[in-house]
Formats: sequence, C-alpha cells, structure tokens
Amino acid sequence: MINKPNSRRDFFKKSAVYSMSAIAASSIVPINTLKADEIEITQKAPWGTKLGDLVDKYAYGIPSPYEHNNVRRVHDLLSSGDRYATVSMTPHHLQEGIITPNGLFFNRSHGGTAQVDPEKFRLMLHGLLEKPLVLTLKQLKRYPSISRIYFIECPANGSTGWRGPQFNNLQFVKGMTSCAEWTGVRLKTVLDDLGLSPDAKWMLAEGSDNSEMARTIPIEKVLDDAMLVWGQNGEPLRPEQGYPVRLLLPGWEGNLNVKWLKRLEFSDKPWHTKEETSKYTMLQANGKGINYFWPMEVNSIITSPCPEVPWTDLSVGDKIEISGLAWSGRGTIKTVDISLDGGNNWVEASLKGLVLPKAWTRFSYIVKWDGKTKVLLSRAIDDSGHIQPSIDKLIENVGVEGIYHRNPIVGWEVKSNGEVNNVHVRS
Amino acid sequence: MFTLEVKKVLIACGVVSALLMSTLFLEANSASEKILNSKRNVDGAVIYPHKDGKYTSYLLNTQSTKGFNKYGRTPTSNEVKAWNLDVMPDGTGLPVGQGSVEAGDELYSAQCAMCHGDFGTGGNGYPTLSGGQGSLKNQLLKEGDEPPFRTIGSYWPYASTLYWYIQSAMPFANPKSLSNDETYALVAYLLSINDITIDGVELDDEYVLNKEKFLKIKMPNEDGFYPVDPSRSDLKEVRPPLAQGNRCMSDCNAPKPVHIAAEITGFDPAISTSKELLIKESKNTIAPGEKIYEESCMACHANEALGAPVLGDKEVWRDITSKGIDVVYLNGINGINSMPPKGGNMDLSEIQMKEVIDYMVLKSK
Repeated sequence: MINKPNSRRDFFKKSAVYSMSAIAASSIVPINTLKADEIEITQKAPWGTKLGDLVDKYAYGIPSPYEHNNVRRVHDLLSSGDRYATVSMTPHHLQEGIITPNGLFFNRSHGGTAQVDPEKFRLMLHGLLEKPLVLTLKQLKRYPSISRIYFIECPANGSTGWRGPQFNNLQFVKGMTSCAEWTGVRLKTVLDDLGLSPDAKWMLAEGSDNSEMARTIPIEKVLDDAMLVWGQNGEPLRPEQGYPVRLLLPGWEGNLNVKWLKRLEFSDKPWHTKEETSKYTMLQANGKGINYFWPMEVNSIITSPCPEVPWTDLSVGDKIEISGLAWSGRGTIKTVDISLDGGNNWVEASLKGLVLPKAWTRFSYIVKWDGKTKVLLSRAIDDSGHIQPSIDKLIENVGVEGIYHRNPIVGWEVKSNGEVNNVHVRS
Repeated sequence: MFTLEVKKVLIACGVVSALLMSTLFLEANSASEKILNSKRNVDGAVIYPHKDGKYTSYLLNTQSTKGFNKYGRTPTSNEVKAWNLDVMPDGTGLPVGQGSVEAGDELYSAQCAMCHGDFGTGGNGYPTLSGGQGSLKNQLLKEGDEPPFRTIGSYWPYASTLYWYIQSAMPFANPKSLSNDETYALVAYLLSINDITIDGVELDDEYVLNKEKFLKIKMPNEDGFYPVDPSRSDLKEVRPPLAQGNRCMSDCNAPKPVHIAAEITGFDPAISTSKELLIKESKNTIAPGEKIYEESCMACHANEALGAPVLGDKEVWRDITSKGIDVVYLNGINGINSMPPKGGNMDLSEIQMKEVIDYMVLKSK
C-alpha cells in the first residue's frame, strides 16, 4: 500500500466512514491458529487411493461434476412464450479472466438454434459488386485468418432495470454479454477482390435460420473491423453462435452479428428488416424511435462481490479484492472508478490483464472489510471519451421505454452481514 | 463533444460545464490529444489504424492478402434469384401477387391467431400486432401508467418489412411455407385490423391487395424515427452516447440507493453456487419419441394457451384417442385444425411420427 498514488489516499481521507479500506502500511496480518487437525490433511483422500477415470472417458472434455451450477440460466419473463426465441444468460459470477467458455456463452436467437450442415453451407456476396461471389466453407477458410478477442452483448442486457431493480443476482442483471477469441477473415480482405462499387453504402447480412435473421450495416463498419468468423476460442463456432459462419461486428449490438450467415448484399439504400422495426429500435420519451442504433455503450459491473458471491464468510479486518468487468463498443477501456459509498467518493481501480479494444477488461481494487453496510459502484470510461452515466442521467435523456442500450452504473449493497443486494442509486 | 482526458484529471464534484471540459482539453497531455485526433467511425467509435505491422495490440501478417477469391465462383442468376428475396421500403424486391382481406383473415385464424391472438391482440408472450396508435409517448413510470404499445399499426414505418418478414420467417414453427398470394392476403388482413387505409380506401373484407396497391401504402408511423439521411451527412458521429456520465471523484452528493420492490424469482435452473455433487436420477432409457417431441412438438403441445392438446392433459388425450390410435396417427401426419402436416416438420418420417404420437399418448395417460 506504500506506493499508492495520492489520489487514492485522498479518496479515503475524504470518505472517513470507509477508513476500513485505508489499510495501514505497517499492518502485519496474523496467521490464523489451528483449532483441530483437518481430516482433509490427516486422512488419505479417496481420489488418491484408487485409479482415476480413464484418460479417454470423454472424447470431448466436460467440467468437473462439482461445477454443475456454473451454467447458463433462463427466465420465462424474457422469452416469447417459448424457449426458441429467448435468451440464456452467462453466469458472470463464476467466470474467470476475459474469455467466456463456449458452453457458457450467452445465447439469444430468434427462431431456435439452427443445425447447419457444413457441407451444404454456402455464402453469397452480391449486389453492388463487380464480381459477386459464392463460397463454400472450405473455400472461405482458405482466406488468411486473423484472431481477435471481442465481446458480444445483446442490447437488451440490463433492460429489466428501466423501472427499478427487479433481479437480485448478477446473472440476470448483466448476463447477456460474453467475450471470446474469434477466428476468421476480415470482411475488407474479401471485398478487396470483388470490386465494391463506390455507390455501395449499405450491406444486408442475412442468416439461414428459421427467422432468416437480417440486419442492415453501413459500409463504414464493414470496411473497418467487420469479420466473417468460423472459430470461437480455438474450435469451430458453436451452433448457438452461428455454426459454421457468423458475421462479427466488434462492439455492436449482438443481433447485428448475424449467425448461420447465408447472404451479404450491397446497396446504395438501407433495408428495413424486422429487427430494425419491431425490435432493436429505441423508443424515446418524445414518441420517436432511434433506428439503426449500433454500438454498445461503455459499461462495467462488479462481479465479485455480487448477490451470488457475497462477503458473508469474511471477518472484520479481512482483505478482499473487488473485481469486475468493463467493456465498450466504441473503443478501449481507459479507466474504471470504484465507489464504496454509493457514489459520493470514488477511487480509480487497477486494470489488469489484457486491455484490448471492444473486449472485456478486468478491473481490481483491494479493500479491508469493516463489517459496515456499504454500496459498491463501478464507473467505466473508454478512449472515445464516453463515461458511464448515472441512472438518473440516462432516464433524463431517453425515458424508460427504450428497452435497449441501458448502460448506467450498477449498484451492489453489501450489508453488515456480508449479503449483497441489487440496488439502484436514484434521486 | 464528450472527449475528455480522464486518466490524470480528477474533476471536482458538481456539474461540469462544456466550457470547463473544453478548457481541460487544452491543458491535457498528449494522450488526450490522441483521443481528440483519433479517427472516428459513423457510430462514434475509435478507428484504430493497421500500421507498422500492428493493429492495436495484435501483430499482423503484412503480405498481400489479395486473390483468395479465386477459390470461390460467381453465383448463377437463378441462384441469386432464389436467395434475393428481401423487400426494400421503396418496393424493390416485391414480387407480383394478390390476396384479399377475407383470405388473409382465414389464414390468420388457422396459422397465426394461436400465438398472436384474435385480431392481433397478442398473448402468450408473442407480439401484439394491432392497436396502440397514439400511445408511443406513454411512459410507464408508476403503477397505473399505460406503457407505449409498439404494433404494426402504431410503430412499424414500412409495410415492406411486413411482407418480407411474414414470407421468410412466419408462421413461427413452419416458416417459408406461404405463397406470394397468401402473404399478400395476410398483409391485407393485418393492415385492415390496424385501420390502415390505402390511397384513402378502407380495407374491407373484399379488398384485394396487389403489388400496385402495396406500393401506395403509407404507414402511420413512417416519420416516427430519427432518420438516416441518404446523403449520410448525419452519420458522422450521429449517435453520441445516449447519456454521458460525469467523473466526479469526491463529495459528489450521490442520491440514495433504491432497493428491489418486488423481487423476481423463477430462474431455470434455480440460482445456486453449491458445489455438492448431484445425486444422479436413475433415468430410464429415453423413449423413442421423446427427443422428437422436444425438438418438433413441444413448442405448441407444451403451451396451453396455443390451443394444441397439452401433453399430460388426460381428459383431452382420452378424447383424441377415443377413435383409435390409427386416426391419431393420420391426423398427426396429415395435419388437423391449426396443426400443419407433421406439425410443420416435413423431415419426420411416418415411423417417427408414430413414435412421437405413442410417446405423447403414453405421457398423457
């Protein structure tokens, strides 16, 4: 703690209530004394006294059976009367680092998960191109590949909070986002050979699934960082993520990253798909809707502690790390601030690990538990200059009926017994 | 302009005026100039350069990537025609065809009403298709407030979307099954229940919609969106953040926390972080029809509201099987009432249909 920058010391001076966190530089933590021998040490472990599972028991490995609660979850409120056009949520409270395992990647689709035969997969590029193109999967994969770590987020992530807190868990407060390393080809690389007309201002991306999911994309994004991807965290895309090929538009609404991709058409005019009409438009308080809303706003969430991972087992004086995730569809995370007192005083957290554009970024801050009720907040800032807003500010600007793009600061109340509850800091 | 060098500058509490923010730019170090000077895309996002063999932190192969299109081929005109089925707001792509409101009403009752409700009134979690005109400024802020209702009539800006979507993705369990004429008829019906007129003419039962009339449709909420100008002049940073936060660091006078008023539960599976091993249920071997049921039949037969006989409803299934199992097989294979042949899954063989019907009968005894 000796090397802490001044800003942090000031922070704690100003928030005297939280002297709990101003850990004395000289403190020497006493080691707990033993009460009784632990049988975990004194007795032989059962798994050490017999042969384990056969090495080839699982041709494709699965998690430990003890981790059966590290799973995606659904809620009937979030579906359309069925479980085909619904969403399953990533359990952020059990995730490590910035990569979501493929089996836990959140899953939103509009007509169920299509099971596409890779031999019958065809991708067509046509419209305002001198040389329209059809590719098989093998042919597409001949293109020189790139691998990039990007998050994907459904624009409805957090949307149940517009009128107040409703879910008392992290999984349903922010579970509609995940992050993976994607492998594919930059779309610009493919288009460089096809004679894209200067009149081509828009691209339609269409999926081959039940819902024929389609979205309109401006050419500026297509030529910047858009990709056609077939790999996800080192293996072929999962069916839930659009096997064998999906469009990837880094940082943009999840639904724009069209899965089970089939067709890309280029035009001088925009389309108006169903997902740019009944959904994924943002109705404002003045009665007008924003259509073609693309990037996911700067966002952050404390993942530890959270309602599922409370501090109930801490003793007063224990040191504990506050850790979380920040991301922005407009660029790279620059800073994450943390407040322990519901937003009156803030301190800059450390970013840790890789800090990449349009990717999950981990932040960390270590405190000492004082056993007093407090409200934890995190506030992210990206390199486009966007600062995560308060709930009041967002509602003042857009009302409460927009459904999508709800990115205000999230609050966790930590009670004196260590329990954690979802709270909204509101005036 | 929201750009702000934040790493070093701690802004005191209170509202930071735009003036103060711009002052801060001038004093900020080179890092902030980098932000100011960085290229921006149409969404306001930073465009990072591919430069000196690098893209942000990623290293690049800098050799030419041209010529890999040689692996592909040119699509034939028939192939393009087969897939190029979209319809644009100006009518580009709209096929020839016609259908009456009356025909659309019949189709709707048979294939749509089970999810979208009579006259498009919605239900069962599926979208409401009619009504809601004049409600878009509503805000549900407190109990008793009316929310806005986003329907075809109140919200959708273009009828082209209606035609395209119905033909490519509806009915939900049996998409891409409607002919052009059937789609015209359904569009006509949906416009009629939304009281939308074409060229001043009301759409009564006898009204026949065709391509020529379709092109004259003007939806009530066509002007209800922030437009994208064809010149794209409004796409340069057209979308600033919906709301910009304020980086106050101390004595910020934050408001009070609000707690959950009525907690929502009912997650599947239930929320738990327990690491206790699950006791394995002694699961019997899966019945042959069970998997098919889950994949192809459950969407309707597990949902009471849809009108299909619900799995496990002994009384209903006793009636169904009263005429003998062969009749049930035949009805399942050929379709009955609002159930299309084989429930819409034409990939199922007759043997598979019999297996799944056996399974459903067994489960409903």
